[in-house]
Amino acid sequence: MGPPPLWRKGSLPMQSTSNSNRPSGRRSILKNRTVLFGLIAALFLFATGCSKEGQSTWEAFGPVAQKQLDLFNVLLWVMVATFFLVEGVLLYAVIRYRKRPGQPRPPQIHGNTTLEVVLTIIPTILVLALGIWSVFALFEIDKPPGDGPEPMHVNVTAHQWWFEFEYPDAGNGKKIITANDLKIPVDRPITLSLFSDDVIHSFWVPKLAGKLDMVPTHENKMWFQADSDKIDDDLPVTLFGTCAELCGLAHALMRFRVTVMEQTDFDSWAAAYGPPPTNTDKAKQGAQIFAANCTLCHTIDGPDDPALSASRLTGFLTGGDITPVPAPNLTDLRTRNTLAAGIVDLNETTLRQWLQNPEDVKPGNYMSERAVLYQNGSADLTDEEIDALIGYLLDLR
Amino acid sequence: MAAITGVISRPTSYAGVWSWLTTVDHKRIAVLYGATAIVFLIIAGVEAGVIRMQLASADNDLIGPGRFNQMFTMHATVMIFMVIMPLSVSFFNFVIPLAIGARDVAFPRLNALSYWIFLFGAILMHMAFLVDQVPDAGWFSYANLTEKPFSVNRGLDYWSISLLVLGSSSVAGALNFVVTIINMRAPGMSMMRMPVFVWMTLITSLLLVLAFPVITVGLIELTMDRNFGTHFFIPAEGGDPILWQHLFWVFGHPEVYILILPAMGIVSEVLPTFSGKPLFGYPFIIFSGIVIGIMGWAVWSHHMFTVGLGPVANSVFTITTMLIGVPTGIKIFNWIGTMWKGAVEFTSPMLFALGFVALFIVGGLSGVSHAVSPSDFQQQDTYYIVAHLHYVLFGGSIFGAFAGIYYWYPKLTGRMLSETLGKLNFWLMFIGMNLTFFPMHFLGLNGMPRRIYTYSAEFGWENMNQLASLGYIVLFLSFVVFFVNIWQTRNARRVSHDPWDAPGLEWSIASPPPAYNFAVIPQVEGLDQYWIDKQKARDAGTPLTEPEALVDPDSIHMPSPSYWPIFTAVGVALIGGGLLSHYAISFVGGAITMMGVIGWGNEPATAPSDHH
Repeated sequence: MGPPPLWRKGSLPMQSTSNSNRPSGRRSILKNRTVLFGLIAALFLFATGCSKEGQSTWEAFGPVAQKQLDLFNVLLWVMVATFFLVEGVLLYAVIRYRKRPGQPRPPQIHGNTTLEVVLTIIPTILVLALGIWSVFALFEIDKPPGDGPEPMHVNVTAHQWWFEFEYPDAGNGKKIITANDLKIPVDRPITLSLFSDDVIHSFWVPKLAGKLDMVPTHENKMWFQADSDKIDDDLPVTLFGTCAELCGLAHALMRFRVTVMEQTDFDSWAAAYGPPPTNTDKAKQGAQIFAANCTLCHTIDGPDDPALSASRLTGFLTGGDITPVPAPNLTDLRTRNTLAAGIVDLNETTLRQWLQNPEDVKPGNYMSERAVLYQNGSADLTDEEIDALIGYLLDLR
Repeated sequence: MAAITGVISRPTSYAGVWSWLTTVDHKRIAVLYGATAIVFLIIAGVEAGVIRMQLASADNDLIGPGRFNQMFTMHATVMIFMVIMPLSVSFFNFVIPLAIGARDVAFPRLNALSYWIFLFGAILMHMAFLVDQVPDAGWFSYANLTEKPFSVNRGLDYWSISLLVLGSSSVAGALNFVVTIINMRAPGMSMMRMPVFVWMTLITSLLLVLAFPVITVGLIELTMDRNFGTHFFIPAEGGDPILWQHLFWVFGHPEVYILILPAMGIVSEVLPTFSGKPLFGYPFIIFSGIVIGIMGWAVWSHHMFTVGLGPVANSVFTITTMLIGVPTGIKIFNWIGTMWKGAVEFTSPMLFALGFVALFIVGGLSGVSHAVSPSDFQQQDTYYIVAHLHYVLFGGSIFGAFAGIYYWYPKLTGRMLSETLGKLNFWLMFIGMNLTFFPMHFLGLNGMPRRIYTYSAEFGWENMNQLASLGYIVLFLSFVVFFVNIWQTRNARRVSHDPWDAPGLEWSIASPPPAYNFAVIPQVEGLDQYWIDKQKARDAGTPLTEPEALVDPDSIHMPSPSYWPIFTAVGVALIGGGLLSHYAISFVGGAITMMGVIGWGNEPATAPSDHH
């Protein structure tokens, strides 16, 4: 509890606090040092706050993200300059015109029209300039430049809570459907059509381009490109992608990866796209377990049949406890980096955890909720059966 | 029906619980609104605490995704509809009649009805916790996540139906203030002599009256979709989820001005008082407020830049959003101009007002950066936006409200809040606020999306999150200091009627004001009438040191208390409650509402036996 309140009875203005008894010259020097210190501290904080780690937007690997970053960098300096100017004037006014003991009533100024007009016109010009510049940038990044390499097209469909990637033509007319791990050739524009099969999601690869929502019954189009001269590391490099719109329980765990590779590597991946071989007894056993337990929802022998996908979706949307639901195509699982929509690295250990009890890895997923295998909690399979399944899926010899 | 109303005699007591339940006095209703808002502030603060604890470390599993989604949904919904809006209405109620020289609002019983509907609506939404079916789709509740089969429990029904109840309260309250301000100003108070807070209240009320019908349409459609088999927002059935976004943001963007304009009004009262100078550029502040109120309707799609409306639509909303920065900038220049060559006193209300200006500049600048839509594609739905919105709503609305509380508390109670605790409160809140929300700019730019309950360490977001969670503790302490400060005033010294040498008419009467406010309705000759009065008295050599003398309250005709507002509000709440439990209850609620309205209509504004 503090000392008694500091006010005086009567209609006179309140006295300021005891600090204002100090000689004013000394005080303003002190204040200036404080201001300077604050400035340095702010810049230090700023320098340490920005990072290029993970999915930071401070690093651009392609022309779209680069344009967006360039815009933001200019904006940043406009903001920083305006911040120091306006806050500086505010601070100056507050310190310079603080009430001194015995000060008479200040002059009763009501305004200054010339000043108002000037201070209206300057910011209007500034924001209009920024606005017009943004409009040009908006159209510039809307479509890939016509004179570049032939773009490759990918259809992306969002599901609760994973991404499906369909290449209508991944080279030589080959159609590929994969999930959660988008492989793209470097230095080539990638045009994307975004769809959603359930709720609204948002597709975001910060280092390649800003986000665009994935809306059921709407087709949204975007493009990006990874430039080899912007990437310092040796290819292939793997970039983070994520869903950026709240889409339900596992929204935080709906991520993906973009692997940027040389065109030749991409071509050999595309050519090898196909079901894992069943040339050993163990792999045959794995394939049987897969066929018996997984194929209501998952496909492993090439692109999904569109009619089957549609029926799974209908089953999902009409509810029920155990129904076929849309699920990732597993044809090329063995070539992917991650599992469960980009939340853990893919290896034997993580795949085992996932197969034993998916709910532990990714709370809210539909596999543990709807698959017959998990109706009593963890998987209704022996360790040996799980081994065989892992061996088959990952093509272990 | 008339017979029924004849049976119930009018409430007569002016003290005790019944007097609060039946009051139509705008000052008492202000206290009810304010106290209720503070209770919900504590609830929303606890929800924020849970969020900050969960995010304090990477891969944390304190709470799961389901609970986390409920926490941020309720935190935002409560802060917007049950804290900031009622706090503003509390100020409208207390200040407006006093500031325009009136004895009450235009419709005192409607005013009471607004409060009771608000209270019951807010309680209705919190019933969701009792059945553990809590809204969890965000305060924006984007369709079709809110539709079956994606949202199967009744959480979203609690959300939409309670908001419909709350909305009816807001519209009734706003209409009341529009009518009050237009019709009940003291003689001589032309529109351009109204205090800025009155102006901002008028603009806010007009926005409320126009914006709430839009969200009401959306909420009714959502409720119909969820309960009665319509398909407004269900894509599989031919509906369109984007329609919801347009309806929501056509309401939602004016709503953010509904949240900030009252705070701007408060600051425009506090800054001149403690600079000893009239407001600089009064007409520019007013017109910029009007321009914001109009342009606020033309920028809603900047919340939807990433929806895929295409570059043409995004260009239009980029330009309009850019331009709305200008009137806001004008206000800031004029606030600084008010202090220029003034005599600035660092009292608690002034510190909060200065904090408002300093923090609003930050929020305004980051706001301009989102207006640049191509760059916003990287920032939309990241913590950069969370930082921005808290700088304008916490740094703006909450700091403005605290400036108002510290400023008008002595008028409301006749007792002063401690200046020492007030300053401690300010500095803790200012430091805590920056510590919590400034790092979020970095988090957003470093790629952290909003509304994720967990993040893995590989993204490098942990340090900044720890800083933000630390800031929460400082903020928590600042609110503790505030409550201690309020508590200690129960035995604080009584204060004069005009402790701040303020310009407004409300300071010319006793503290706390008598029930009738003004014994003699004042004559207004210009802006800042009480400064004019005091200057005249000083010139005449007889300084004004006493408030207007008290008179016998029975000599002034005031509206009598009434049972009907709370009775009718119970009916309205039961209509909503029935939709959430058993439809039969809705019919009972409807009958009670009808009875209340008829009884109300038959009740004379003042009981014949009442001399008050």
